Amino acid sequence: MRDMTDAASTRMIHFVLALAAMLGFAMPAPAQAPSGRPFHELVDLRPLDSVAVFTEGRLKSFGSFANTQMQFVTGPRRVAGQPSDFTYLDLMFRPKAYEGAALLYVKNKQVRARISDAVLRADLSRGEEMAAFGSSGLVSEAALMLPGVGAELRAMEADLIRTAKEMDSLKGALSVKDPAFLLSSLRVIPPGDGSPDRPWASIGDVMLLGADPSTLPEQARERPQAPLPGIDEARQRAVAANWRAMVSAWNKGDAEGVNAAVRSLAAGLPALVPSAYPSTERLSWEGWYFRNGNLSRTWLLYLVSTVLLLLALVYRWPWSMKAGMVTFGIALGMQTFAVMLRWYISGRWPNSNMFEAVTTAAWMGTFAAFVAELFLRRTAMRGLLALGGSVASMVALMAAYLLPVQLNPNISNMMPVLHDLWLYIHTNVIIFSYALIFMAAVTAMAYLAWRALGNGPAHARVGGAGAAIEMAAGDASAASGAAGAPNAPARASLGETLDGVTMLLTEVSFVMLWAGIVMGAIWADHSWGRPWGWDPKEVFALNTFVIFALLIHVRWKVRDKGLWTAVLAVAGAAVMLFNWIVINFVIAGLHSYA
Amino acid sequence: MPTPIRAILDLFSSVRFGIVILAVLFVYMSVGSAGIVYPVHPNVFHPDAWVHAQVRQWRPFEMTEFEWFHWWPFDVLLGLLCANLAVTTLRRIPFRPVNYGVWMIHSGIIVLVVGSVIYFGTKVEGEVPVPRRSVTVGILAAPAGGGAGELVAEATMLAMPGNRVTVGEGADRYEVEVQSIDPEWEMLSGDDRGARAYSVNLSVVGPGQRFIRQLVAGRPHYTEDMVFTQDPKQPVKRAVKETGKPLVDERLFAALDYGPADRFYLKNDLEKSWALYVRRPGEAKWVQRPVHGLPLYNDCVGDPGEVFASGSDAIAPHPIRVAIPPAAEGDPAPGVTLEATGYLRYAQSRSRWRAGGPGDAPNAVAAVSVADREGRAMSYRLESRDPQKRSADGGVLALRQVSDEDQMRAFMAQPSLRLRVPAKGIDLLETVKDAALADKDAPWRPIGAPDSGYGYRVVAVQDDLAIAGREVSVAILELRTPAGEFRRWAFSDPTMSRDLREGEDPMAAMKRGGESFIDASVEVEYLPGNGLALALLVAGPEDGRLRLIDSLGRTEARVLDVEPGRALALAAGVSLTVTEWLPNAVEETRPFVVPAEQRQRDARELFAMMRLSNPGDAAGEWLQYHPYVFDTPQDVLRRYWFRPSRFKLPDGSELEVLFSRQRLPLPAPVALDTFELATHVGGFSGQSSSIRNYTSVIRFRDPKGEWGAPMPVSVNEPAEFGGFSYFQSQWDPPDEARDGRLASAGLNYTVLGVGNRHGVWTQLAGCVIACAGMAYAFYVKPVIKRRNRRLVLEEIARAKAEGRAPRFPHDLTESVHA
Repeated sequence: MRDMTDAASTRMIHFVLALAAMLGFAMPAPAQAPSGRPFHELVDLRPLDSVAVFTEGRLKSFGSFANTQMQFVTGPRRVAGQPSDFTYLDLMFRPKAYEGAALLYVKNKQVRARISDAVLRADLSRGEEMAAFGSSGLVSEAALMLPGVGAELRAMEADLIRTAKEMDSLKGALSVKDPAFLLSSLRVIPPGDGSPDRPWASIGDVMLLGADPSTLPEQARERPQAPLPGIDEARQRAVAANWRAMVSAWNKGDAEGVNAAVRSLAAGLPALVPSAYPSTERLSWEGWYFRNGNLSRTWLLYLVSTVLLLLALVYRWPWSMKAGMVTFGIALGMQTFAVMLRWYISGRWPNSNMFEAVTTAAWMGTFAAFVAELFLRRTAMRGLLALGGSVASMVALMAAYLLPVQLNPNISNMMPVLHDLWLYIHTNVIIFSYALIFMAAVTAMAYLAWRALGNGPAHARVGGAGAAIEMAAGDASAASGAAGAPNAPARASLGETLDGVTMLLTEVSFVMLWAGIVMGAIWADHSWGRPWGWDPKEVFALNTFVIFALLIHVRWKVRDKGLWTAVLAVAGAAVMLFNWIVINFVIAGLHSYA
Repeated sequence: MPTPIRAILDLFSSVRFGIVILAVLFVYMSVGSAGIVYPVHPNVFHPDAWVHAQVRQWRPFEMTEFEWFHWWPFDVLLGLLCANLAVTTLRRIPFRPVNYGVWMIHSGIIVLVVGSVIYFGTKVEGEVPVPRRSVTVGILAAPAGGGAGELVAEATMLAMPGNRVTVGEGADRYEVEVQSIDPEWEMLSGDDRGARAYSVNLSVVGPGQRFIRQLVAGRPHYTEDMVFTQDPKQPVKRAVKETGKPLVDERLFAALDYGPADRFYLKNDLEKSWALYVRRPGEAKWVQRPVHGLPLYNDCVGDPGEVFASGSDAIAPHPIRVAIPPAAEGDPAPGVTLEATGYLRYAQSRSRWRAGGPGDAPNAVAAVSVADREGRAMSYRLESRDPQKRSADGGVLALRQVSDEDQMRAFMAQPSLRLRVPAKGIDLLETVKDAALADKDAPWRPIGAPDSGYGYRVVAVQDDLAIAGREVSVAILELRTPAGEFRRWAFSDPTMSRDLREGEDPMAAMKRGGESFIDASVEVEYLPGNGLALALLVAGPEDGRLRLIDSLGRTEARVLDVEPGRALALAAGVSLTVTEWLPNAVEETRPFVVPAEQRQRDARELFAMMRLSNPGDAAGEWLQYHPYVFDTPQDVLRRYWFRPSRFKLPDGSELEVLFSRQRLPLPAPVALDTFELATHVGGFSGQSSSIRNYTSVIRFRDPKGEWGAPMPVSVNEPAEFGGFSYFQSQWDPPDEARDGRLASAGLNYTVLGVGNRHGVWTQLAGCVIACAGMAYAFYVKPVIKRRNRRLVLEEIARAKAEGRAPRFPHDLTESVHA
């Protein structure tokens, strides 16, 4: 089978060469249009969002597919500010333009340093290039080909623990950026019989249909392409002609021509085998979603609402509270839209990789905060849950925005072991509780800040839910701990309110975390054969629970309940984050594929 | 109550004590699971100043996660926690509606701990590999009075590409090899047309002929043979089309059957489950000896000189002696307690050369450095005994051992061809020049006079091929004779030479009988001489002597004496230095401790080694770990290995030994009926990301020998049988041909997880009770308390109005203050 694909890719190389000859690739094409605007800004590839590409057992929108593929080459970076779908096509059509361009992403800083050293040993004049590499992580193939660099790369390849993985991804980048690979990966033609069990064909398999043989080099003439079986031949020819028109216009720098050909392709490809084609509407949304950075820029809105809510908390400005709540509502609306859209695009509830776990958890916590705010809007607690939710979502979306490598937003198939109802319940309950733990830490920190400003001990006398119930019922005096003094002022101090909110969140997360762990055990019992395996991820979920058990009992015993509660709530969040970050990325366990 | 008992009860009813236990539990669990980090440098702000260590893996502990979490300190902590919970709840928390929540939480946790004691106290967990089919091959004796014949010779093997057996003897001998397996073979004709089934192709070399037999699982009536044809477009044809009969040779019996498994292997992580397997040579069944006390994580070597290690990883001596007594009936050495005297976590057997003395057999090994004018140098290591390693750089540099000067002279000659046409009196010796560079348009060279009618050209030469246990060299020629144009493989041993028929495979031609030559009037012999070597190092014949035959850039070879360490100037500014010279090299094979950075992270104990010794004996034998124990090489599953060792007992007799893990009997033998992949859109791409689910359909054999109903086992959906659950654990993915093995389409076996689960319902009950208690304590209790407070306030108001002291039921006041 490998031989077959090898043969296919050799053929593909021939065809790329053939195309190159036919369309005059050799001449360095203008990447700049006469108007002065770069070519990639003039070209409009958005219509291709509705084109499906078959990859790794999924049908993706071209935009999202190109995003995934280019990430193998350039990591989270973009080449010359170009969108990844443009770079994908440009790398295929004008590979010469990228010779010597810094294109290949190296994530690890120490690996960057070792490559830099080797490159500079071979060629001292590359100092500037290597300095840029050190900060951006992008290196050119030409630099890797210098004498002595290969030996360094091989040495790093042999180090299985520290650097072999990085070398693997570098090799992957080299093979992905190969025009023949890019062309053969562009599988946009469904099987003629519409069967879901057969792979799709590449545009390269038909692109020479109907071409004037006299324009083709010998190898391509010797092996003329045959139309794919089961698909209307005229339509295949039309698609091939449009593709060639696009390539030709691209190399002439004719943006209008490219745009016209792109529109025709976007209309022609779905019509080849309509029965096998996924909804073009869903594909367009998928393209839109990735084009707009997974909507993770919403963190900026949350930043605004956080600032406003903090101002409202400190200065008790009504306008600030109102503006903060409105901003919070808008941000939550956008975040809800992003989660629902992702659900629609991927066809499953988004909770199967790190990106989805983080963003979905933040959404669930924030949404719950919003609902709770509706009930508590007339109490002293108002705005505090929204503040916690704002900070949680801001941090989560900021992480998704700034760390696209660690939190990879690409949609891929789930591993078989993850197809299970209990998994859905388990992970959602657990990550929901994690979001609440984080939010509790936000109000706990606010409490600690309040205490640091010189305020004395204060705590919610009847616990979190108890305080909320009493406050909602307008019984603030009881909530503030003045049960025995009916004439005490009805207004609870900020410390008491903050402690009440911390406890409210802690109590919910305590129950959710326990329930989530138990559900995980039920899943593991029938999936792994044991409900509990002392896997690090399990142990630290239990450890988080132990911290909260300690919190509840310490609160029972100590005098300064508010302070201890806040300290332990922050400690619990720290253990939770340790579990999510250190255990996940450093100490690999059974859960590492989740 | 006596004071000491009271003091203990007070201690156990203290919330503070509970807090301390929880805190200690937190630390214990964190250290056991994530390990610790500690500084190794005073500059603690630098990240490199800190190292991470898994404490439980340290030498004094040597514990898996499970062992750490079932060690007595942990059990004591849990016991204390339960006692604390029970005593506090009973003594300090009145059983009233406000407290139902906390009662439920505490009792739920105690129930959970009880369930866990049952669960982990009885837990057995392991895995069982189940092959899909075995192949039975036999010879049917000619039936005396007609009817079905009787099987006279029989052999079985697993259906696994590359497996082979031989049945019969002498002229009646069949060599049968599993050539390929198609797990999804589509029937092309008959009633089942379009259906798919597991199909096995056997390559058969029988008396006088070679053919392929195809077997289809569950459909023995589809068994048929395929024969080889001369037609290059269709080299293989169904026998029925050629001969009219489906079988070429009806005496050969071949059938597919289940390959049931009856034991499962204990996982090494619940607790260490090492075992030694022993049997007398020639016996089929292994007998198990569990090895208790062998470490898992740390190397234990008595004499570090006994293993190879990379420079940076010095190995400190850590002698061990772990007794391995006989444990089962039928042990082949019932009176002998063997000993494990060494353990390596991650090692591979490696061979290195050491300088031998004059008493050792001549065996030239040399390290050579070749430098050019610019000073660029390449280093090579040459071993004269190994045809693969005796030459370098495409054969330009080589090392050979000679036993006399005649051989030396032969090596000085250039490679040449002896061409004879006796009928025409032609007898020529021509040198072969640049043969490897010859192409299809090379000019024909006449043999004898240009009008002799004979001509040749050299296509390629290959020196030192290993064929049928011998080393031979071959020149591949194209000959033009009055009989036509054809290809001849002319060997240094003329008896092996052959002409190839049109489109014939050379390897098949070597094996075929019959006429060797298309035109025997011309005779060709290949005299390899120094082959392609332009720089040929020759060791011998005298002990330690080393000479260089230098043909680089010269027509006549010259001989130079070589002194190790001194550079020899050759043509074109090239110099050659022998940097290391071992004339009597002796091979040493020892375990090589793989450096930490080269270890596969998820390899677990796959590369472990154990040193086996006789009691009290200093000598020992290193044994490689085997994940599974196979009886014969025909039972080996792809990706696993079978390398039993011979071990000499004190009485001089020999045992066959194998290092693996313990296995236990299954409740009944289990067979794999089919193995199915469910895929995502586009079908199976070879990548696991295209797979949606794996399903093994298994069957258990009842005591009467009947196979039970098929039971599917897929990911997340185990099957239950005989007190155990069976889980889908591993599969046999497609695999390319490599290391001389045939390619495999995969799906030839499955690995099932096996485990029991006593007490799991008790655990679940405890969890649910605790969970309900939490919900109650947080959300029902405040409501009750609020109602009670309202009742109290109302009573106060009422009493005030009535001018009397307020009266409260006892539990009401208590709950208000609680």
